[in-house]
Amino acid sequence: MPAERAGYTVTMFLVDTSPSMGTLRTVDLPPGPDGESRTTKLTNLEWALQFVKLKVQEMIFNGRKTDQCGVVVFGSEETDNIVNEKNGGYENVMEYIPISQPNAGTLAKIDALQPSSVFGDPIDAVIVGIETQANYLSSKKTWTRKVIMVTDGENPIEVEDWEATVAKMDGLDVSLTIVGVDFDDEELPYTEPNKTIIKRANEEFYNTLTSTMKSGVLGSCAFALRETTRPEIKQTRSTLMGTVLRLGDVDTRGKEAIEIVVKTSKCTALTRPKSWKKFGVRPNNPTDKMNVDDETEENNEKNVVYSQLRMRTEYYVDPNADNEEDEEGDVKMKEEDEGLDEGKEDNEKSMAKDQNLQKVDREELIRGFKYGTTYVPCPEGQFPKLPTRKGIDICGFFGEKNFRRELSMGEIQYIWADPSSPQQQVAISSIVQAMCEKEVMAIARWVTKDGMDPKMGVLWPTRFDKVDCLLWSHMPFADDVRKYTFASLDHLVSKKGDAIKEHPYIPTKAQLTAMDEFVDAMDLMDAGEKDEAGSRLPWFDTLLSYNPAVHRTKQAIFHSAVVSDIETNPLPPPHPDLVKYFEPPKRVLKRARGPLEECKNAFKVKQVPKKIAKAKKEGHVHARDEDDMLLLDRKQPALDRTSSQSRITVTIASSSRAPVAASDSDTEDDDDAEFLLDKKITSALAPLTNEVTPLPTPARSVSPQVDLGREPGRIIGATYPLKDFEKNVAQGDLISKAVNDLGAVITEIVMRPFASRRTTELLDCMQALRKTSLEEDEIDAWNAFLTNLKGKCLSRPGNEAFWLGVKKSERGLGLISNKEARQQGGISTVSEGQAEEFFAI
Amino acid sequence: MPPYDDWNKFDDEDDEELQDTLFFESKKDVILFCIDCSESMLSLYDDPNYEDVQTCHLYAALEAAMQIQKKKIIVGPNDSVGILLFNTTRKSEQGQSHASEIKRNTFVYQPITPLGAPKVQELIQLLDAAREDPNELTKTFPPLVGKRVPMGDVFTSCNWVLRDGAPKTASKRVFLITDEDDPHIGPGSKQLITSARTTLIDLTQAGVTVEPFFISTEDKPFHVSKFYSSVLLPSNLNDEDELQEDSSVLPESISISRIEDLLAQMRFHEVPKRAQYSVPLQLGEGFTIGVKGYGLVTEQKKGAYKYFVDLGDRMEVATVKTTYIDEDQEAEVDKAKIVYGPTLGATATNDDEDNQDADDGFGTRVVKDGNRPFYTAEEIRSFRTLGLEPGIKLLGFKDRSELAFEDNIKHSQFIYPDEMSYSGSKRTFSALLKSMIKKEKIGLALALTRRNASPTFCYLLPQEEKVDDSGWSEPAGFHIIPLPFADDIRSAPVEEGFRASEDLKDFARAWIDKLSVKNGTYPPDSYPNPALAYHNAQLQASAFREQYHPDSFEDLTAPKLEMIHKRAGKLLGEWKSAVNNDESANVTVATTGSKRKADVTVDEAEIRSKYDAGTLAKLRVDQLKEFLKAKGQAVSGKKAELMERVAEWFDAH
Repeated sequence: MPAERAGYTVTMFLVDTSPSMGTLRTVDLPPGPDGESRTTKLTNLEWALQFVKLKVQEMIFNGRKTDQCGVVVFGSEETDNIVNEKNGGYENVMEYIPISQPNAGTLAKIDALQPSSVFGDPIDAVIVGIETQANYLSSKKTWTRKVIMVTDGENPIEVEDWEATVAKMDGLDVSLTIVGVDFDDEELPYTEPNKTIIKRANEEFYNTLTSTMKSGVLGSCAFALRETTRPEIKQTRSTLMGTVLRLGDVDTRGKEAIEIVVKTSKCTALTRPKSWKKFGVRPNNPTDKMNVDDETEENNEKNVVYSQLRMRTEYYVDPNADNEEDEEGDVKMKEEDEGLDEGKEDNEKSMAKDQNLQKVDREELIRGFKYGTTYVPCPEGQFPKLPTRKGIDICGFFGEKNFRRELSMGEIQYIWADPSSPQQQVAISSIVQAMCEKEVMAIARWVTKDGMDPKMGVLWPTRFDKVDCLLWSHMPFADDVRKYTFASLDHLVSKKGDAIKEHPYIPTKAQLTAMDEFVDAMDLMDAGEKDEAGSRLPWFDTLLSYNPAVHRTKQAIFHSAVVSDIETNPLPPPHPDLVKYFEPPKRVLKRARGPLEECKNAFKVKQVPKKIAKAKKEGHVHARDEDDMLLLDRKQPALDRTSSQSRITVTIASSSRAPVAASDSDTEDDDDAEFLLDKKITSALAPLTNEVTPLPTPARSVSPQVDLGREPGRIIGATYPLKDFEKNVAQGDLISKAVNDLGAVITEIVMRPFASRRTTELLDCMQALRKTSLEEDEIDAWNAFLTNLKGKCLSRPGNEAFWLGVKKSERGLGLISNKEARQQGGISTVSEGQAEEFFAI
Repeated sequence: MPPYDDWNKFDDEDDEELQDTLFFESKKDVILFCIDCSESMLSLYDDPNYEDVQTCHLYAALEAAMQIQKKKIIVGPNDSVGILLFNTTRKSEQGQSHASEIKRNTFVYQPITPLGAPKVQELIQLLDAAREDPNELTKTFPPLVGKRVPMGDVFTSCNWVLRDGAPKTASKRVFLITDEDDPHIGPGSKQLITSARTTLIDLTQAGVTVEPFFISTEDKPFHVSKFYSSVLLPSNLNDEDELQEDSSVLPESISISRIEDLLAQMRFHEVPKRAQYSVPLQLGEGFTIGVKGYGLVTEQKKGAYKYFVDLGDRMEVATVKTTYIDEDQEAEVDKAKIVYGPTLGATATNDDEDNQDADDGFGTRVVKDGNRPFYTAEEIRSFRTLGLEPGIKLLGFKDRSELAFEDNIKHSQFIYPDEMSYSGSKRTFSALLKSMIKKEKIGLALALTRRNASPTFCYLLPQEEKVDDSGWSEPAGFHIIPLPFADDIRSAPVEEGFRASEDLKDFARAWIDKLSVKNGTYPPDSYPNPALAYHNAQLQASAFREQYHPDSFEDLTAPKLEMIHKRAGKLLGEWKSAVNNDESANVTVATTGSKRKADVTVDEAEIRSKYDAGTLAKLRVDQLKEFLKAKGQAVSGKKAELMERVAEWFDAH
């Protein structure tokens, strides 16, 4: 059977609206905003119609004129069908929607279907369906004919002579799909409990019917609905474009130059998500309102009209606020905006005035380019183009091992020899084979059409089972490559010009080993499915990786087309196939668990607190609040310009330079938290600039704004840890949190470069921390902190000097032993001996 | 009507590529060339390129500045450039041309203003004059004799000049060009070093990056350690990078080069380095480092033309505003209130009885009050991102050989560790890179680089750090190569074809051997985009009000025909006759169409003889078409046109 042609299809939907279809059922909805499970009640008809609507929407989505459908209802109160008209009989079967290309109106009409009070016979409907279809297609014999029936199978069927119907359908090449509500399904798997005898018999009949037919399918509605979201790849047949592959001078030395007739076609082509149409709520105009008022008595439901929007482009120019011109502009605008209603015009005028812009008529515009501030007119929109000649010119060959894969710029193209010329095929084949043998690829220049801009690229020889061809990849011109300089990761040079061998940036041997093990553990080469021979294949195959954006968007488009409200009927989760490569395979994760832990311990990566996004304008002064601090309380370390990176952040924030791509550099941080933090700082600091003259440090010519260095969720900042801590302790709340946070902050500062400048301050902090811990029964927290700090200081990269400082203070900063604890009425798990020993090692 | 609007027709969410370039263009770049004008910079020597011409370092520096200006004006038409000279006795004319008086013995040759043709021409004229008379530069900018301006004064002047001329939000850079490695000898040098350092800090705090270009010659080698290493800041504070850099480490961007390489060195810095994104790279659960992404390969397109309005005295660019309107009501709709839905179908006329606006041209959808079958912009975005946050997530490792040639769809990006978001990123990144290079592995990752992008799978291709002869180093990092999805891959439309014999392959091999470059690769640097250069040359000529001579244009991408024929001409001829004598020449492919086609095969010789005899008209249309098709020509049009095209082909061949 030849491949099915897209479009050129008439699909007949046969919908069962018998009374039994009105039975209510509970349908699961995707979890709500807080993860709670939700359900809704639908009639079987509404549920089954979702499938019909999704199918119809697919046709609307594809937008083919030759993809048409019609709807026949059985179990309708009325009888209206061509067979009945001709021969009588076939009662309660109605041609509900005549065959045509569907649109949003079709969906609305399907929505209006309600269960009726009479039965209709499915076989009657099938016959009406194929008759109507055959009638419509009488002059289009080659079209594909499909019939899709949705039913609950609860009503009697007149089964005699069904073989004749099958014969007729086979004769017309009709394919029949029966979608049954709660039919038993082995694949799901599903078996309906308490199935009625009549339904059981009907399911059996449908089974016989569909399996007797040449192309018949029987399935359950639940399965059919799930399958509509399966990512499906739209097969695009690439067109073959003719061109010439050249080597040498074909004009003057034709005897020694090559010219091969080739066809090109796309090998990869970027697919984008289908675009959305923009809609806006149409405001009710007065006449409409009147109508609505009239209707309210009979009909309490108001309707909202969403109308599709169109884009309009307008041109404005800034005449530099010259009064005369401004007036002129207003006049002009009035003329142009004549069609608009009053309010609108005013609105626009004030807007234009605000920004000092004048609307300009398109016809007054002149095309041209900017050469810096110089205007270069170019009414054509482009200068004369470089004269070029269509074809692919080979420039030379180079070894494929030297190919720089990362330079490949775009979509790949196949280059085939002319399929109708064996001689050309042999010519290409000889070149491909020779290139493969020598392991070289070619540099080539491609002009797609006479006069088109040339592209450079490479040709890669490829041998398929039965044909040889070349693949083209577009490569960059000199202009397309940016050469940024990056600091070396390995070669750090000191100011004296010596190489630095040990540095926090350079991984240690132990770290390298940990990483090696991690890389081995996370190997995917044996993590895929097993092949026929039983050996495992690599995990991940491009041919099974669907573009999540494309398919999710499509699912969402379909969903919004068939439901009436997104809030109450949200989009179901994506099909599992769409996200199957989003997580590494379980096997691998399990294997890597150990090495991952090793790595975490070895590398000790820490997230750095986010810097302030931007200094607020000075005019925007907030009132002081209790968080305010007096400048005099500030400690010297905070004023040290290079003491910590948070200080440098401040320098940036206070310069007027906007941070680069700040909005893009967001990490998982909670944006709200950051906003709050930001605000607080501004309010705390704004008064400084007003009341206090700049500080005496010479380098500080800009107004000081201080980042408290608080990480989100912390109450102790890195800038004034002791102050923050004392304030909290004084207030008496959140002692445990304050103790833990100060511990964390101290550890952090100690591990930073330049920590030595803050040694005294940190030791003060520790003193305070120990005192509070002892008094407030946070002894375990202190002991844990100290043990951790020791570990960190003595490991690499560490801060041995600081630890020596701690040690020097003798027992003043040591572990809190049970003896000492008891004096304060506390408990400690550390013995006196242990506490002594702690500093000894 | 449509073509008129074509160039601004883009959908903000739809076109990612476009956003990239917009992002680059929106930010202005300012460069202040700060050139030493001392005696040694002005001392003449024989030009290495031209005979009987004398040149000097200052000339080379100014010429480089001119070239950079020319390039910038095309790449970033809104950027500004200025030139400041130091160690010259020339004074600014009135002193009033600038808001602030700058330090003695520094001179603003060109204040910072947006680039324009007159500015570039001014410099070109100066350079031309200097070519004529080697002493012209010494006359124009008399050097300070016997002493030097303190570097602190130079930096202060830079600061003032930038403050006067540079827009606040621009990225600001000073290109410092000097050949003196120890400007402050003698007493007081320590103090001068301190002041230089302090003023440099001021400059940096004003958001300015200093990029030094030091000239080193055999007679006068340049040693950074003498003076500059104690002055230059460890890093560019305003560059988001390396804020934390240990002060014991030298800045990354010091270029010390021979004067001939000055321009090449500047080229590296021509575009300010800007990260496209900064995202977390998750290696495993709870094991995340920070990286920044850079676009190292991006297609450079011709500038789009703009619309201008004649205001009488000058031309002004028209700004374009796009609004969305409800056509029926002629009412503009607030951007925030726009909702998104599916197309209503091709024939969405409202045959719905409930609809009162039955005569609507453009679609409407009527719903009950309170219902909303449309999505908000936020919801739409979540469909694209699948609810993921920006980041790169490692999925595992594969062999290097798994990265196929054909698995490409887009240009790659480059990532480099960002110590500022996660401390420890550098060591972790470095260890990962080393391990992967050693094991010949590539990484597979799921990447969502920006909030409005969509997730893609990509391979992480490790690049080892390498330094080449020109001083350019291949940075260490990963290339992110986006993979095509199943949706992007097209099957091969040709499945079967004739294949060459072993003999024929050997004939081909013979000339391929001759035309292969040993140890060669694809050299992007050798191929400047000819169409772009041609366009820009015309643009420049037009701006300078000069006549453009197309003959002067050389297309460097054209194949080197002479070389090809010299090396392999004979072998090509041999291969050709072997192909012609191949038995496949006698095979005709049986067409498998359902319709029976008339025999259209006519051999070329026959058509040529008809052409020579002027009897092409005797051929049938399908025969003409077949011939044209075989030659890759268009097959559209009437018979007369086809004949003409065939005749043209024979004329040309």
